[in-house]
This record gives sequence, structure tokens and C-alpha cells, in this order.
Amino acid sequence: MFAFSPTRPSLSPELLARVRPVSLAKTRTVPLGNPWRALVPDGALRRGATVVVEAPIGLGGLSLALSLLSEASTNGHWAAVVGVDDPGVVAMAELGVDLRRVLFVPRPRGAWAESAADLLDGVDLVLVRPPSRPGHQAARRLMDRVRERGTVLVALSEPRAPWPLPADLFFRVTQAEWVTSSRLDARYLTVHVSGRGEMARGSEHVVVVPNRRGAAEAR
Amino acid sequence: MEQLLAVWVDDLAIEQPDGSTLRHTIALSDALEAMCPFTEVVRRGLFVMPLRGPSRFFGGDDAVLAMVRQCVLDVVGVEVKLGVAEGLFCAELAAHREVLVPRGASDAFRRAQPLEVLGRKDLATTCQRLGLHTLGAFADLEPARVAERFNQHALVLHRVARGELTELESQRDRRLARRLAQLRGESDLFEEQQGFFGQRGAEDDRAEAAARRVRHRLGAEAIVVANLHGGRGPEDRATLVPWGSPATVVRDHAPWPGRLAAPSPATTLSHPVPLQLRDEANRPVVLSARGVLSAAPTAVIFSSPLRREIVWFAGPWPLVERWWARHRRRAHVQMVLATGEALLVVAESSRWWLVGIYD
Repeated sequence: MFAFSPTRPSLSPELLARVRPVSLAKTRTVPLGNPWRALVPDGALRRGATVVVEAPIGLGGLSLALSLLSEASTNGHWAAVVGVDDPGVVAMAELGVDLRRVLFVPRPRGAWAESAADLLDGVDLVLVRPPSRPGHQAARRLMDRVRERGTVLVALSEPRAPWPLPADLFFRVTQAEWVTSSRLDARYLTVHVSGRGEMARGSEHVVVVPNRRGAAEAR
Repeated sequence: MEQLLAVWVDDLAIEQPDGSTLRHTIALSDALEAMCPFTEVVRRGLFVMPLRGPSRFFGGDDAVLAMVRQCVLDVVGVEVKLGVAEGLFCAELAAHREVLVPRGASDAFRRAQPLEVLGRKDLATTCQRLGLHTLGAFADLEPARVAERFNQHALVLHRVARGELTELESQRDRRLARRLAQLRGESDLFEEQQGFFGQRGAEDDRAEAAARRVRHRLGAEAIVVANLHGGRGPEDRATLVPWGSPATVVRDHAPWPGRLAAPSPATTLSHPVPLQLRDEANRPVVLSARGVLSAAPTAVIFSSPLRREIVWFAGPWPLVERWWARHRRRAHVQMVLATGEALLVVAESSRWWLVGIYD
């Protein structure tokens, strides 16, 4: 009701000193699994944040982005995957994603941003791969929506078609190397992780995505 | 579309207070499953199985019909109504009318039916006033015209009448399958699928509302969920089904010899892309009948200008399935390209297909 009243009720100074936010920023997070937990502040994704994963085509960006969903989905959060036209469902299961709580919109055609916005209202994590270079306007609107709804957006992009706005958390794959035996065993990804504030300078890490069991782990 | 044999047992349609209906239903479905493992209990009194396989095995359609008739007589002790047609909707109608609709004639059969078979009295009366008496006449209406006059539900019925959907929602009793499983003591099998719609929390409701909005925006097939099941390659082990369609029970306790080990490709192509493998002398690499490559592949050609060097490959790992049919011979090959990309390709019918990308 207060939201519509022309003047908001002013609180007395002594009351103002005692009130606190309904929820602390720390509780408003979505959990992250290994190895990412050790690489980001608080070991979780802050609600309202936009995470950008950038990788040259075919070099592990999709696996990395999907692995960000795993811990949240096993903890009961819903996730959606928009614009990944042929998702490797078995690989997702190996990464630890609980498929019972994942919605897919494989081919949103022109409406990728609208579909993602629709899903942001209902799920906690939305992974989106724009089919072409994402527009400034669409990205801005989507990120505003994410902040407003308190969900997490994971945008998957390529160096050729980068996400047009700065992200709260930025994973950039710089190198991918396969370890092979008689078969493909594991892939070592060199990932540059950066973000806002204390993360501004960024740091480089080598992670294994996927390992011999198809999961993500620290080296 | 597949020809289905619908088995309609009048006596099992209404549940008796003494529980004999469910006991008979279980006994009959077990007996029918012995004839065909793909037998399904659709709802009380209605069973359905694909006809082609049993027909080949038992020596013709008539032999299968006679066996099923005898089977129902032995197990339940009553006469049965049998019908054969394509799709569940037509198959059930065929059973009620006790006809065998030949392959390809199901369309005409469906179009000749009266409108009452859709089970909506108001729709039938209104259409009759408009001079539409058969499903065919109703089906010929433009979907937009139907949407103007009737509600959303009628549009679904219209799709059934047009043959775009093969069954009515009201045909299936989803709770029955669960009760039968509980009676059999297999209820734990159903726990897996309960994650979706059982034990719902506020998150599930929110997710469902969001999914509904996307479906409204992009159409029924646009939003999908994943089912995992048995299979050898990653491309066989998963299906994406439209969100909201009945979930299937996952029963994968079978070993799959030759199953490709983890890690699996993060992209699994639903429509494999043809490609060519070349050896050092630029000759095509082929898979022999014994599952051996003619030479080590050194390059992959997607389409004529797009050629990539192969720096490492492994395989072929033959998929020994239906070994009696030579053309089903398949083999997986993993490769890493000079660009750093890793691919999973499969040889089938002497051609190569790209089925997965480790991206």
C-alpha cells in the first residue's frame, strides 16, 4: 500500500536505527559448485547479477556455462537454457545438473530476449546464448529485469559477438587443451575470472571441464 | 504412423469396490506384456500395443488378434473388443467399432466419425447447427475460425480432428499407471518423475507459470524438458519432449555394452550433419564391415569449402546392435581438430555424421 501512497511514511530516528533489511545480501545468493566456488567472492552467485561466459566457438564455453547451473539445480533451484539449439543432455547430467528442474527453449528464433525475460520471472538461473550479436538495448533491458527479479543471468558469448555491457562476473576462456588417452579424457580450460569491485583486476585459473567423469573440478 | 492394436475390455472400465478391477488389469497387462513388451495400460479397460512387431513374430495380424482374444478370455474371462488403427485416438475408436483399419486409411476413418467422439457435447451441438456432422467437416475449418468461436480446449480437439495430435488428453488416466505401479510394489520408480509435478513448492509453481508464458509466446514445441533413458551413444540416451507432456518412467537398469564413456559432448545434434573423413592421400575414409577404418583420418570436410585438419582421433568403437542387420552397423569416432575443437562422429550406412561437439 505504501508503494502507492504519495508520501512514504517517515520513520522516527530511533526506529530507523533499529530496522534492518528483510534479507541480507549474503542470503540472496544462488549456490555455485566446484571449482567455481573457490574462485568468486562468497562462493556463490549474487541474485540480480549477470554472469558472462566468453569463449571462442567450440572451446568449452558451453560446458563451463552449464557447469555453473549444477549446484543450484541440485539444491532445488530451477534453471532455464535459452538458445542452445542442441543441448547435450547427457553431458549436463554428468556435470551434475538436475534435469528435472531445467526448462529448455532450444530455438527461440527472434525472441531469445523475450523468452529469457519470461523465464526470469519463474526460475532462478537463466542461461542464454544469443543466436547473433546481442543488441545493446536488448542486453540492457534483460539485465535490468534480472536485477529487478533477483535472478541470475548467465550469458554465453563469443569474442566475435561479445556481450555489449559490462557484467557483474566475467569468465573468459583463453585456452583449451584436451588430455587424451585411448579416448578423450579431460579438458583443461584456462579461464580468466573478473568482476566488479575487488574482482576488477581479475585472475587466471586452470580448471578441468569436463573431467573423466564428465564433471567440472579444480586442477 | 504406427499401427496400434487397442484392446477394450468393458468389464474393466468401471472400478468394482472389491478391488478386482485393478487386480485383473495388472494380470491382463502382464499377460499382454508377455506377448509384446510395449503394451501400455491407457486407462481402465483400455490397453494398447504396437501391432507390427507382434504381427511379424506371431505370423500375421489375425494370429495376434486371436491370441489377444484368447488371452483376455483366459485371464479375465470375458469377451474383448479389438481394433487396429494408426494413433491412439483412432485405435480406440476402431476398438469400439471392432474394425481393423488398414494402413494409411486411418485418416479417412477418423474423418468419417461423428463429432460426439470428441467427448464435448456443446461442441457437437454447435457444429451440428452449423451443418458440420463429421470430424472431417470440423477438421476442414480454419483453426483461426475455430479459435474465434470456441475456447482453447476446442483448438486442441480441432488438432486431434485434423490428425495433428494422435490422442485426446481425456483418453489417458495418468493416475492409473501410478496406482498399478504401487500395487505392484514398484512405486519407487515413480518417485523420479514426481520431481516435476509431485511435492510441489512455490518454486515449481513459478517455473510452471513462466513455462506457460513461453509456450504461449512461441508455441507448444518451443519449450522442452529432457528425459534420460537407456542407449549407447549420447545421441540415443536423451530425448527432449515438449514441456507439459506426460513424463515417462525411467527404467534403465540394463547394461549397454559399448556405451560411450563420459565425458559426453555438450552439444548433441538432434539432426546429425553429414561430413566426410579423408586420409593423407585425400581418399575418403570408410568403415569396413568388420568395424575397421580404411585409413587414419587426417581431415574432416563439412561442406566443400570447410575443411579442418584432425590432430588426434580415437576409435572406431563399434556399436554392436542388431548385428543381424548389416546396415545398422555403427561406430563412434572421437577427434580433436587443429582449431582445438573436439567432435564426436558416427559412421552409419557407410556415411559419416557429426553427432556431438564437445564445446
